[in-house]
Order: sequence, then structure tokens, then C-alpha cells
Amino acid sequence: MMAFLQMCNLPIKVVCRANAEYMSPSGKVPFIHVGNQVVSELGPIVQFVKAKGHSLSDGLDEVQKAEMKAYMELVNNMLLTAELYLQWCDEATVGEITHARYGSPYPWPLNHILAYQKQWEVKRKMKAIGWGNKTLDQVLEDVDQCCQALSQRLGTQPYFFNKQPTELDALVFGHLYTILTTQLTNDELSEKVKNYSNLLAFCRRIEQHYFEDRGKGSSSIKSS
Amino acid sequence: MAAPLELSCWGGGWGLPSVHSESLVVMAYAKFSGAPLKVNVIDKTWRGSRGDVPILTTEDNIVSQPAKILNFLRKQKYNADYELSAKQGADTLAYIALIEEKLLPAVLHTFWVESDNYFSVTKPWFASRIPFPLSLILPGRISKGALNRILLTRGEPPLYHLREVEAQIYRDAKECLNLLSNRLGTSQFFFGDTPSTLDAYVFGFLAPLYKVRFPKVQLQEHLKQLSNLCRFCDDILNSYFRLSLGDG
Repeated sequence: MMAFLQMCNLPIKVVCRANAEYMSPSGKVPFIHVGNQVVSELGPIVQFVKAKGHSLSDGLDEVQKAEMKAYMELVNNMLLTAELYLQWCDEATVGEITHARYGSPYPWPLNHILAYQKQWEVKRKMKAIGWGNKTLDQVLEDVDQCCQALSQRLGTQPYFFNKQPTELDALVFGHLYTILTTQLTNDELSEKVKNYSNLLAFCRRIEQHYFEDRGKGSSSIKSS
Repeated sequence: MAAPLELSCWGGGWGLPSVHSESLVVMAYAKFSGAPLKVNVIDKTWRGSRGDVPILTTEDNIVSQPAKILNFLRKQKYNADYELSAKQGADTLAYIALIEEKLLPAVLHTFWVESDNYFSVTKPWFASRIPFPLSLILPGRISKGALNRILLTRGEPPLYHLREVEAQIYRDAKECLNLLSNRLGTSQFFFGDTPSTLDAYVFGFLAPLYKVRFPKVQLQEHLKQLSNLCRFCDDILNSYFRLSLGDG
């Protein structure tokens, strides 16, 4: 999200809030607060920014736009679900990290209750889409397939659609960066990503170009 | 390969070899890759578990779920994608994800959740192929599963009401159909002149939507306006399935 806004050259001020999930109109972080409007989630934010006259994908033709949307779905489908799975369905990670982090802004016993509730919700969703019975290895394999596809699509280009970054680049960067920099009990997920050197180079390039150049720190905002 | 491959799947109607999307994906892929499948159509006498259909049975294996079945066939050297470049292979994964996220909820809704369609077409058709008393239970279970899936994956705030979710999923499905139509353009198949996995998936999801006669047809109407997608389905039906329809 931050990557997208940076790419559009929009000045943003980043704020961490504990009740971020509740402030957002759709219950999801991240969201942006502009004047007296609040817009949440990547899709609507992109639309909103577009309506204000900034868009990253104007230079694409119809076929490329279709491809971009397809790849964004692939990333959402695979990477996002895998991240959720790892955070909430892998017992080791849940016990050691996720519960504590999710519940940390709240006093006992609220922290436990909210964490369990979220876990139950996520498990329900996983079951509905057929991921309920997947083992960790299968999830990692899916992530690997997804990274392979992204790596092949990126090839040797600087961005997915050659010279200009688009929403897809921002989305991929956001997910890969989170995977690479989040501390989890096992590093297999980030190892999978690291296997693809062009994806690593891609992340580094965006990080340097859009974040360090502007004097901002490179910590990412996570929903907690 | 020597081992006989048997595919158990839901049967056909309205000119289709199967009305079930996932079964159709596997059947189409088998035709494209030249895999010699013996197709067993499920009827009242079939004894297996119907929840997992389509199911591929070989001498030593039982494989379910289209993605796994296709992988299995590829390992047996029935590969419809060997002419694709790495980038095209990546595109295939991306477009399949697009179909599953954007089109599948609306297809599920059209078949299993929309009451007029479900009660007048889907339920009778499936119930007639399931033995009593399971015929009273199973269609309802599939229907609830479909609704559950739609609500859990799409029914998040700010869409609280089912009607709003329905509106959103149909919007997404129409957009997805438009995107597929744009991508296909005037080509015969998605990647040149020979059909591949992506063609099997698109055919599997579009053909039932195109051909099955439903009372409530908004998505079907939209699809019929995209003439290249309709032509795509008809071409595959005529070239690959015309002969086997005669054998049932």
C-alpha cells in the first residue's frame, strides 16, 4: 500500500494505531484518511487515487490490464492466503508469535479472546476455500509455484510491465517484503522467496528507490 | 500408459458432456492432452463418495480435485502445456486464479444459491443421479457449501447484506468475463493454435454457464454478448466432444 502511494508520488504520513481495524470503514487495514474522506483496501484506494487524477496503469492496453488483474488475483489468492495460513493455522507460529502480537494492544483477557476469535474466523475461511486440509508443506509448495510464476513473468525487466511500476508491482512488493522481513518461527516461507533472485532484486530496487531515497524508514506497517 | 485411467464425474445435458465445471475441466484437459480416459458417468447406482467428484482412478491411485488430477496426468506425460513458454505458464496460473476468485462465486451462485435456478434446474438434475435417501440431503449440502463459500470469501464488511454480496459477485464475474474476452481476442485458443490447461479451465467454467437453461440468466446473457467466448466454447464442443457425445 505504501509502495503504491509512493509510486504515485503522493505525500503520505504514516500512523500506527491499535484500533486501526475498527477505524477503517471496511474493517480492514490499511486505509487512508484524506481530508474528510476515509478509504480502505487496495482496490478502492486505487480507484480513489485514480479519480483524483493519479493512476499507474494508464499506459497499459486492454490485454495488459487483464494480465495485471489476473496476476493481482494470483498474488491475493496464493500469497495472502498463505500468509494468513501461516499466521493463524500453523500451531507453532500461532502460539509463539501471532497470539501475542494480535492481542498486545489489549488488556487481559481481551487479548486472548480476540486472538482466538480471529483464529476461528480465519480457519473457517480456509475450510470454505478448500485450504482447511492443506499441510504446511503443501502451502509452501503453492507459494513456491506462485513465486515461480511471478519470477517468470518479471524475467529481467525492472517492473512487471517493463519501465513503469503499476499496482501489481506495489502489491507484489508489499507481500514479498512482508514475507522477507517478518520474524516467524520458521523461515521456510522467506527461503522460498529467496530462491528467486530476480524477485529479491525487485524488492531491493523498490525499497531503495521509493523508500530510502525519501528519507523514510524501511519498517512496514502491519495490521495488528 | 498401460494403466487404464478412469474418470468418474457428473454427466451431461444441454449439449455438454458434463454440467459440472470441475468435471468438465478435467474432461477437456484429457481431450487436449490425448489422455485415454474412460469416463464413468455418475448415476444412482454409483457407489463412491459424491462430494469429491471428479475422481480419477488408476490401478494404484485415486486422485481428486481438478488441479491434482491435471498434475497427475502431466506426470504421466499427458501434457497439454509443453509448447508454452515460461511466461505463458505463469500467465496460466494467474488467469486460473482470476477465474477462481472472480468468476467461480457467481457460477456457484447461479447454479446453487439463486432459488429459481436451484429448485427448478440444479436440484432435480443432481437429485435424479443420487440414490434415495441421499438425494434429499446431498444437493442441499452442496448448496449450503456454495453459499458459505461465497459469504466467507466475499461477504466481508462493508457488504453486510446477501443482496449486496450478490450484486458485487455478479459485477466481478462480468468484469472477469470481459477480461477473458479481451485476452482471447480473435485467437482460437488462449495461447495460439493448440489448446492448453487455461483453455480447459475457461471452457470448464464457461460452457455450463453458456448452455444450461436457467430461469434467472443475467450472467448467461452477459456471456452471450461476448461472441468470441461463445465461439470458443462451441469450437471446443464441436472439435473435441462431438464424437463422444454419441457414446454418452
